[in-house]
Amino acid sequence: MSTAVVKRITRSETYRTVADALWQKNPISKQVLGICSALAVTVQMNTAIVMALALTFVVAFSNLIISLMRNVIPRNIRIIVEVAVIATLVIIADEVLKAFLYDISKQLSVFVGLIITNCIVMGRAETCAMSNPPYVAFVDGLANGIGYGSVLVGVAFFRELLGSGSLLGFQLVPDVFYEWGYMDMGLMLLAPGAFIVIGLFVWLEHALLKNQA
Amino acid sequence: MSDGVKTILFATALCVVCSLLLTMAATGLKAYQRENALVDRQKNILKSVGAVSPTQSYTGEEIKALYREHIKCVTVGQGGEVLSADAAPAETMPLYLYEEDGATQFYIIPVNSRGLWGRIYGYLALETDGSTIAGFTVYQHSETPGLGGEIENRWFQRNFVGKQIVDEDGNFVSIGIAKGAVKDAVRQDLQPHYVDGISGATMTGKYLTEGLEDILKTYEPVSVHFRNRGMLKLPENALVCQPPS
Repeated sequence: MSTAVVKRITRSETYRTVADALWQKNPISKQVLGICSALAVTVQMNTAIVMALALTFVVAFSNLIISLMRNVIPRNIRIIVEVAVIATLVIIADEVLKAFLYDISKQLSVFVGLIITNCIVMGRAETCAMSNPPYVAFVDGLANGIGYGSVLVGVAFFRELLGSGSLLGFQLVPDVFYEWGYMDMGLMLLAPGAFIVIGLFVWLEHALLKNQA
Repeated sequence: MSDGVKTILFATALCVVCSLLLTMAATGLKAYQRENALVDRQKNILKSVGAVSPTQSYTGEEIKALYREHIKCVTVGQGGEVLSADAAPAETMPLYLYEEDGATQFYIIPVNSRGLWGRIYGYLALETDGSTIAGFTVYQHSETPGLGGEIENRWFQRNFVGKQIVDEDGNFVSIGIAKGAVKDAVRQDLQPHYVDGISGATMTGKYLTEGLEDILKTYEPVSVHFRNRGMLKLPENALVCQPPS
């Protein structure tokens, strides 16, 4: 690709929105939002992936819907309206999971419902959707969901690999290792393990951003 | 139109749209969710006797086929006798039998116990000696995830296997959840009747202990039949209990 095209892409507003959400202002590793669910659902890769998809769906569509209504929402009840839209989407996501991914929905238990209180969703609705056109708001929501999800899946990768010796439920550490005395790291299955891994992610992101600047 | 009226109109319209969407999602998906819940219960019945592996995944059809092949659901009266289809006493209890090659291997009692935040539903399987617990599973509860919610985890449920509900003299003692590890918290002679507790979930353990005792007491006549004869006598036309819905 020629440099001119790259430049045109990197200078576009969409690129900035996406890059911010995925990297420079990543919801988890830079803004440290949504930590509660990130601790709870990252014991296994598949719960983390489903949670990431559910949150991406909710934040993208709540942004889109709120942005479409942004000029008619009465200012004095705007927070209530935002929460109503978000809550509706979350319950729809929860119902769909219960209908088609029952086992995973049981494992996620309350944490799908708790997307309603996830600061990322509310934060994007307030700061982006209320003041931007639908296209920008939708892309912003999508990118923030993926930014959240990428850290979630990253954390789950290390927790499942080190804590259970498997990935996506498939055993990776061969049985013969266990016979030789290899042991899974029990700490990784507990919440403190998630704290440590997320802390390392935050550190890595800050260190890399410092080098760039 | 004043701002106040506009606000109220907007809020009303939003509420109507949101509730319509939620109603559509809830009713439209109900059939699928019911089916999933049914398969999940059948799976938990099979899991309580170790007929399905907790680490493996099964399709709904596989679970249903295993259930049809091995599980017989009968109705028992208060004396612990299996009712035939023409008897209809007021108080009846469902009981699941796990059969292999025509012989009953385990009997499975449905558990409906008080919990800290809501009811705990599950199954308790016993061997045909009428005393040894073969397994315990939970399929629905509202305990705190990470604390009381651990009752649905394998490490907790595995503790029940091999525990006894009667002592060496044949007296009923039930099964309890210890406060902490059994070997530290429970007298030596009572250890076969207790399982390790969950730290941070003392109340869940307490209520579940009470619930299990109540249920085991209610089903004690059935257990006595098994203790004395190693089996239940099934009448020709046993009253089949309603499949769980």
